[in-house]
Amino acid sequence: MSVPDYMQCAEDHQTVLVVVQPVGIVPEDQFFKIYKRIASVSQVSIRDSQRLLYIRYRHHYLPENNEWGDFQTHRKVVGLIAVTTCGSSKEWPQTSERFHGQKEVYGSTLYDSRLLVFGLQGEIAEQQRTDVAFYLNFDECPDVEKRVEDFVESIFIVLESKRLDRATDKSGDKIPLLCVPFEKKDFVGLDTDSRHYKKRCQGRMRKHVGDLCLQAGMLQDALVHYHMAVELLRGVNDFLWLGAALEGLCSASVIFHYPGGTAGKTAGRKPNISQPADAGKRHRPGALTSNGISADTSTEIGRAKNCLSPEDIIEKYKEAISYYGKYKNAGVIELEACVKAVRVLAIQKRAMEASEFLQNAVYINLGQLSEEEKIQRYSILSELYDLIGFHRKSAFFKRVAAMQCVAPTIPEPGWRACYKLLLETLPGYSLSLDPKDFNKGTHRGWAAVQMRLLHELVYASRRMGNPGLSVRHLSFLLQTMLDFLSDQEKKEVTQSLENYTSKCPGGMEVITLPDGLKLPPVPFTKLPIVRSVKLLNLPVSLRPHKVKGLLGQNMSTASPFIYSPIIMHNRGEERCKKIDFQWVQGDVCEVQLMVYNPMPYELRVENMGLLTSGVEFESLPAALSLPAESGLYPVTLVGVPRTAGNITVNGYHTSVFGVTSDCLLESLPGVKTGGCLVEVIPSLPRLQLSTSLPRSAHTPQPMSKEELSSTVSVQLFNGETQQLTITLENIGTEDIETLELTSKTVTTKEKVFGEFLSWELEEALSHLPLKPGQSVTLTVNIKVKLDFSGQENLLQDLNDDGISVTGLPISSPLRQVLKPRAETKPVSSESGKGSPGGTLEAVLNFKYSGGAGKVEGYYRDLSLGVHVDVEPSVFFTRVSTLPATSTRQCHLLLDIFNSTEHELTVNAKNNQDLVLHASECQRMAIQVDKFDFESLPPPDQETVRFANPKQLEEERQHAQGSIILNHSHPSLRRHGEASVEGVLNQLVLEHLQLAPLQWDVVVNGKPCDCDVIADCKVGDAVTLEIKLTNLSKNAVGPFALTVVPYQDYQNGVQNYDLQDGVTFIGSNTFYIDAVKPKENSVCVGALLFLYTGDFYLNIKFQDDSAGRELPLAWFALPSVHIKAQDTPLQAGA
Amino acid sequence: MAVCIAVIAKENYPLYIRSVPTQNELKFHYTVHTSLDVVEEKISAVGKAMADQRELYLGLLYPTEDYKVYGYVTNSKVKFVIVVDSSNTSLRDNEIRSMFRKLHNSFTDVMCNPFYNPGDPIQSKAFDGIVSGMMVQPS
Repeated sequence: MSVPDYMQCAEDHQTVLVVVQPVGIVPEDQFFKIYKRIASVSQVSIRDSQRLLYIRYRHHYLPENNEWGDFQTHRKVVGLIAVTTCGSSKEWPQTSERFHGQKEVYGSTLYDSRLLVFGLQGEIAEQQRTDVAFYLNFDECPDVEKRVEDFVESIFIVLESKRLDRATDKSGDKIPLLCVPFEKKDFVGLDTDSRHYKKRCQGRMRKHVGDLCLQAGMLQDALVHYHMAVELLRGVNDFLWLGAALEGLCSASVIFHYPGGTAGKTAGRKPNISQPADAGKRHRPGALTSNGISADTSTEIGRAKNCLSPEDIIEKYKEAISYYGKYKNAGVIELEACVKAVRVLAIQKRAMEASEFLQNAVYINLGQLSEEEKIQRYSILSELYDLIGFHRKSAFFKRVAAMQCVAPTIPEPGWRACYKLLLETLPGYSLSLDPKDFNKGTHRGWAAVQMRLLHELVYASRRMGNPGLSVRHLSFLLQTMLDFLSDQEKKEVTQSLENYTSKCPGGMEVITLPDGLKLPPVPFTKLPIVRSVKLLNLPVSLRPHKVKGLLGQNMSTASPFIYSPIIMHNRGEERCKKIDFQWVQGDVCEVQLMVYNPMPYELRVENMGLLTSGVEFESLPAALSLPAESGLYPVTLVGVPRTAGNITVNGYHTSVFGVTSDCLLESLPGVKTGGCLVEVIPSLPRLQLSTSLPRSAHTPQPMSKEELSSTVSVQLFNGETQQLTITLENIGTEDIETLELTSKTVTTKEKVFGEFLSWELEEALSHLPLKPGQSVTLTVNIKVKLDFSGQENLLQDLNDDGISVTGLPISSPLRQVLKPRAETKPVSSESGKGSPGGTLEAVLNFKYSGGAGKVEGYYRDLSLGVHVDVEPSVFFTRVSTLPATSTRQCHLLLDIFNSTEHELTVNAKNNQDLVLHASECQRMAIQVDKFDFESLPPPDQETVRFANPKQLEEERQHAQGSIILNHSHPSLRRHGEASVEGVLNQLVLEHLQLAPLQWDVVVNGKPCDCDVIADCKVGDAVTLEIKLTNLSKNAVGPFALTVVPYQDYQNGVQNYDLQDGVTFIGSNTFYIDAVKPKENSVCVGALLFLYTGDFYLNIKFQDDSAGRELPLAWFALPSVHIKAQDTPLQAGA
Repeated sequence: MAVCIAVIAKENYPLYIRSVPTQNELKFHYTVHTSLDVVEEKISAVGKAMADQRELYLGLLYPTEDYKVYGYVTNSKVKFVIVVDSSNTSLRDNEIRSMFRKLHNSFTDVMCNPFYNPGDPIQSKAFDGIVSGMMVQPS
């Protein structure tokens, strides 16, 4: 007896053993079909006896084990069912012969046998035989079960008769000695008459009868017999049999206590409901039957006395096993007893004691075991450990069994079996092959042993010839154990992974093993580790904007309230998930990931792209290479939405070491994301700008760099004008249907005069709609006009020059010589140079739309920054006025300083050119008409109160703008305009202002002003008319005017003594009464010139009013130049 | 003296493990790992009500051919396992107890370190020193 039956359990002692075997040629599948049907008859209720017979079927049983049948009768083969096929009656004798031969094998112990013949027809099959049943084929045998039942009953009859035979055999005079095979030689020559020997015979027989009783369903009797046997055998120190008796006692008690069986689910017994009579019998002591009273109280009491308590069962098992342990040859019995005891303990949930039994079982040496037996032994140990809840121990033995499958001593290693067993160890090491289980929280389980197991799985699957599995396991190892791998191990694992994937690339499909286990895909979420995912808005120039009117509508539908303290939580969540910008169909959209490479070497990630849903999305995968132990590293993944709607970014896919992974964000721990849902709006056109001016890096201050698509930069002299040609090209796929252009000047400290940017859009608009690929040009004028005033230090320069000049420029070379300071001046001018120059910045905004996006109410904005560095050109260092000969005009004296490094020419409208060298300052006089501010439409009374000073100022400025100087830079071929706006101070302005009191002097009916020379004849009376027109708002006067004639000798001498030469007809003094606004007053007088000559009339003014409020300039009357000529007497004489 | 000393977290993963024949460390990993079955069994056997007065020292967990495995569980369910050579018969139960007590004290010190993150592997030098003192000195 060398092969233990590890599946044995205590209740097997109750069963009778029937061997079912094929005889001759029987197809294996057919045989097992029949075997299954036979085995379904596992318990048979015996007629008239209320007893149950349990049958254990085996299709293979060693005759060697059968020899131990006397020791424990359940090991004895008592029935044989042979299954055979027989084609014709000719073969029948041969078949019959074989059946008999088979019977011989177990002949000594068989009670009965049956032969099931399939396929035989004819005469022989017609015979009615109890021991042979004929069937046409394997499918038509409806009464097999019935036959088996009959057969079992016949076995029972034999069993019962044997039991009765042995039980009543009380004479004791000749009881045969039952013995186990290895004892036989020990008893040779022993005194058979000794008392000791007799007792031994009695004891053993008692035990045997107990076995039979148990098998025959007489539990009570069995217990009694076992007790007696124990008493008898203890007396003679027959340890082996004492052990057997004790074990029998245990078995019977177990059967009583645990009617459900101890073998677990697989070998579970049928419920006893079908045997209502039996039910009462199987009740625990003291339990009531359905009648309320125990069926047979006496038996109950007796049983309770004989039956072992659960604790005693274990004690007796221990004792029995210790006795068995004394015999080397009874190793199998001992081992099986251990297994049975463990099963009982498992039911009792006494794991610690069970583990002790198992520990003992491990040490039982059964001699030389074959590899297969070793595997079986370790497997069963594993199962038993599992049964008592020692999952780790179970996994340990399972793994040992797996290793045994591929031990080097085995010629054909069973890698498949090894792999299968290894898979079964997974739960014991708290390892599941689903990487999702490792995503949450800390690592579970014992990493060192888990890693070992995974390595073994990889190796086994590779040896099995399934590289796909190896890749999957290796990926899993790398993904879940990354934190526990040393740098060297990481290197090794990735290298072998790359080796495997070169043959069989890893993917995302679920691998299903033949036994139904599913291996979920392992996405490499740690290679690289993604820390944050951020959807990026489109570049500013491509961002879609909603037309305001439509937006308003949407707002109103969202909620009727502008503000509500009640926050709708569900809606809030929805909002925060959705990102508040839009992507545009057909445009490249970006998602930024912050990734981290945990590996100690460079990580190459290929084919990294986005996983999206909701909208058709064309992902454009990227390949990246992350340096070893990199910090956070930004990676931008791009793609193009092909349809409009809501798009959700679910994750990303990578290909690392030849394994493709789909990593979903929801399963990634610790990833920061600001929402993954974004709206994609229908496509919009795209506009590209190109300009005639160079681009620059300058950005207008309040704008960020991103907001501008580009910036042009130009350097201009103050006052210069430049044309900027902008080419607009449609580089998108949609037509541009609308285009708008606005500009915004970035506020600067500099004061800008005039319009900085101006353009004509009509010409460009006429080209719309602009088809893709087409372009249109637009010209924008850039005009810079900053303050032309100079600084203090420059002003002083010419101040000390007391010469007041009239009319023409005074650039005499002498002056230059006299003023050596002019040479030293560039130093100071250099320092003051930057001030009037500066920068001007503006943003040109193109709004355009078209295509499907326009229908939805979206447009795009393209901004072009214009940056102008203004270089100072000329300064007006000093401004003063000189009255001109006419009261309507005056001379404006400008000290112009050339701050450039080039020679330049300056000219006013009708003046001659003035050439200025670099850093040269010269004075220029311009004759200008005085301004008549009052002639501008007078503001009505209402606005005067508030805005008068301001408005007046503006009007003045407007007027000043008309004084324009052109300056040109011949060497640079550039020219510009300078205006005196902002240069003129209040005093100068006053001089430039046309007085509200307008004086007109008319001589001989001819208006006389400035340089106009009135002709008259000597002796003729010359009428002089002085007219005052009041244009001011107040009444003026009264005034007195005195006309004083004089002669100017042109040498600085003026002769006022002209009483002889000029005579007034009437008074030379006029009196003007008050003149109301808008009215005029005329004084008329006459003069008589007595000599020829040039005479001047100086009209002097005397103010009679008490308080003089009006400025003096208002009363500047023109001087009158009269040329008195001889009358042409000679001609007349 | 011990041949292997291990500290196991509440969630049954090793916080610290050290063995003397370093060349076969994995064997001790398996030994200690399987001993957890017994530890769990012993803890659960005591029952909920008795948990407060439970003896921390679990005694011999199981003997193998070569080694004896002793266990100790703190109230926070951190397990200490000491493996001693079976041949070392001179070692008394009391000595094992005192070893565990020393280990527990040192572990408490480790936990008191504000820079130690509970659940991380123990890298304390002081703890290492205590453990070294209890280990068999490699000859």
